[in-house]
Amino acid sequence: MAAINISDLDFEKFREFFYRKTGIQFEPTKRYFVDKRLVERIELTGSETFRSYFTKLRFEASGEELQHLTNLMTVNETYFFREEYQFQCLVNSILPDITSRKSDSNPIRIWVIPSSSGEEPYSIAIYLLEYWAGINNWDIEIISSDIDTKILAKARKGLYSQRSVQHLPEMLLRKYFKRDGGDYQICDDLRGAVEFTRVNLSERADTRAYRDFDVVFCRNLLIYFDDVSRKTAAETFYDAMKPGGYICLGHSESMSRCSSLYKVRKFPEAIVYQKPLEAK
Amino acid sequence: MALIKIKKAQPVAKDERKRLRDCTSLIAQLEDVNPVARRWAGRDLMDCPASSAALVNRLLREEDVSVREVILTTLTTLGDEAAVAGLVNCLRSEDSALRNEAIEAMKQLPDEVAPIMRGLLADADADVRIFAVNILESLRHPEVEPWLITVIDSDPQLNVCATAVDLLGEVGSDAAREPLLRLKERYADEPYIQFAADLALKRIAED
Repeated sequence: MAAINISDLDFEKFREFFYRKTGIQFEPTKRYFVDKRLVERIELTGSETFRSYFTKLRFEASGEELQHLTNLMTVNETYFFREEYQFQCLVNSILPDITSRKSDSNPIRIWVIPSSSGEEPYSIAIYLLEYWAGINNWDIEIISSDIDTKILAKARKGLYSQRSVQHLPEMLLRKYFKRDGGDYQICDDLRGAVEFTRVNLSERADTRAYRDFDVVFCRNLLIYFDDVSRKTAAETFYDAMKPGGYICLGHSESMSRCSSLYKVRKFPEAIVYQKPLEAK
Repeated sequence: MALIKIKKAQPVAKDERKRLRDCTSLIAQLEDVNPVARRWAGRDLMDCPASSAALVNRLLREEDVSVREVILTTLTTLGDEAAVAGLVNCLRSEDSALRNEAIEAMKQLPDEVAPIMRGLLADADADVRIFAVNILESLRHPEVEPWLITVIDSDPQLNVCATAVDLLGEVGSDAAREPLLRLKERYADEPYIQFAADLALKRIAED
């Protein structure tokens, strides 16, 4: 087979298509990254050219190849304080808004899905303890869910590599972790502060009991879903949240692309989505 | 005040629905005055394959956007004949939001929409034919290009052809070249068709 070449036009065509399907926008600087993965899939699927592969990608009824490519095009990694601007938004904008309207003393409820290995829910816990004065006045529940029971076990254990904690300030690392060989063990107080549960977001029986959340973090998950699943997830979150509740998505994800149910809220730190206050 | 963890004995939350969940009851709940009950019924009817007609019936009258979204998702998932027929019905609605929602839903149903696509593209109403071309824009189906070629070869309405040409510029292959040239001849005095067809031909040549 001749070497596969991705032309400028191919790249533009793919970039536009992939953005429409996933909301992920590849800048020209990502050209090498994209070309390499495209060529890999073109060869693996036995396609002769970019064009024949693109036709398959675009018109395959099952969407299976698009899913393969999406998995390849997204870097599935997580670490403490990833996309920290959203945690800043949580403590500086979202929680002040929620507490200003709150008329009861019930705990504020935060749902993190997917939990993955726990870096995100623990980051939220640390952020609240360190940077939110309201922690002195309000109780907070953090529930963190994932479909993968092995990853949940890892999250409960709370043992992390140097790479996972590399973005944490040294002071916080010392305060909340202890060294365990080459790894870092998160402290028992934080382990005890997060409830980890197994949930398949696409399974109604799993999600129907999840209600009354003030804030949902669902970052870098919807990009793996097809359009219908993404829409279903948006509707599931809608029922899981209180009126006026907020949902934070990953930086390349947009709720507006899958549902018209939410209001876009532009805070200084981040764009997030809100279930309308008047919603039922 | 602090970070707290719910006690193990408590569920994370309790399922507070008290209504019956069998198919007949769920269909009845589509008429509930409370939109939350209608939304939950609309979602749970996903497990009731014979509920499409009832869902469509409610969809055409439903004013709460959150209930409409759920019903459309359920219809898309059910994807049976009654669901597709109901969505086609929505294309004829005076409500533009409902029309757009139906177009989006039909884009998700390539195999189910395919058998009726020729009929939609030959509909007496030019607006419905344009909506059908809009559906093709994201319909993952190998017949998309032949359908579009049929439109530009035979549709008597300029706007329908223009919509199809725009899309052919994106998905067209060599097979579309002659039909595009014929269209240019047919609408020799229409600058937009000349422009759009030339652009489509250029893109096909570049490929």
